[in-house]
Amino acid sequence: MPSAGKTKRRKSSRKTSAKKSALDSALDQVTDESVAASKKEFQDLLAQAKGDTSERIRQNAQELEERLVLLKKRKIDKEDFDFFLENQKRDLRVFVDSQPAEAQERAEKLTLRVLEIAARVAIALI
Amino acid sequence: MNPIAARNLIVRNAFLCAAAIAITSCGTATINKTGSDAQIETLRSYELTFIDEFAVPGKRFKPAAFDARVAEGNAKFQQAIANEKFTARRPVLNDLAAQFKADAAHLRSKASRGKVTPALASEMKKDVNKIYDHALGR
Repeated sequence: MPSAGKTKRRKSSRKTSAKKSALDSALDQVTDESVAASKKEFQDLLAQAKGDTSERIRQNAQELEERLVLLKKRKIDKEDFDFFLENQKRDLRVFVDSQPAEAQERAEKLTLRVLEIAARVAIALI
Repeated sequence: MNPIAARNLIVRNAFLCAAAIAITSCGTATINKTGSDAQIETLRSYELTFIDEFAVPGKRFKPAAFDARVAEGNAKFQQAIANEKFTARRPVLNDLAAQFKADAAHLRSKASRGKVTPALASEMKKDVNKIYDHALGR
């Protein structure tokens, strides 16, 4: 049984890194100078969000990454992407407001700020 | 009965009454909360069924059927808000009602142009489940 668990973990880890590379390679193709700074900030914040201790922040980063990949693969269009971004923002505003005062700035940066930049990066992706 | 014993009896009875009220109100709050959770689960099911019915790639869009389901859904949300006894839940229900309207507007726009994809349907359902879980404090 333990080996089954290990296999599952290994598979899930491979899946995550495959998703990571899908987004990273998509972002590598973005050569537009005007979004270079946004792209760099987005990648930095997304990496921080994915490693955060808060499950909500990690969950939001994971969803955002998956949706950017879906957009790049044209499984959803920009209208759908924007619609999901708005849903995420609405849901996260309540979360950010419920954080202790000292944690609010960081929570906002790793959630709402990431979503704002994602909207700009998404235009360059398609 | 001497005055001190009488006073002690009054204090004891007052304490017992206060304790009984506190326990009863806790029980009532729990019952209300449980009923409220069940109501939210009913609304979640309705919204997921609605997405399953209309977010189907290639399905011909029938505006009248769509609008009838949206009107039925809006009425369910309004009824849930009006009947909600757990007052702290009313803003949550208002948010869920607004989410249903936003989902319906997006789905109408996509389905009427034949632009529904399997990924749209599955991501919409994922969002609905997440938002309802958060509303229930999970």
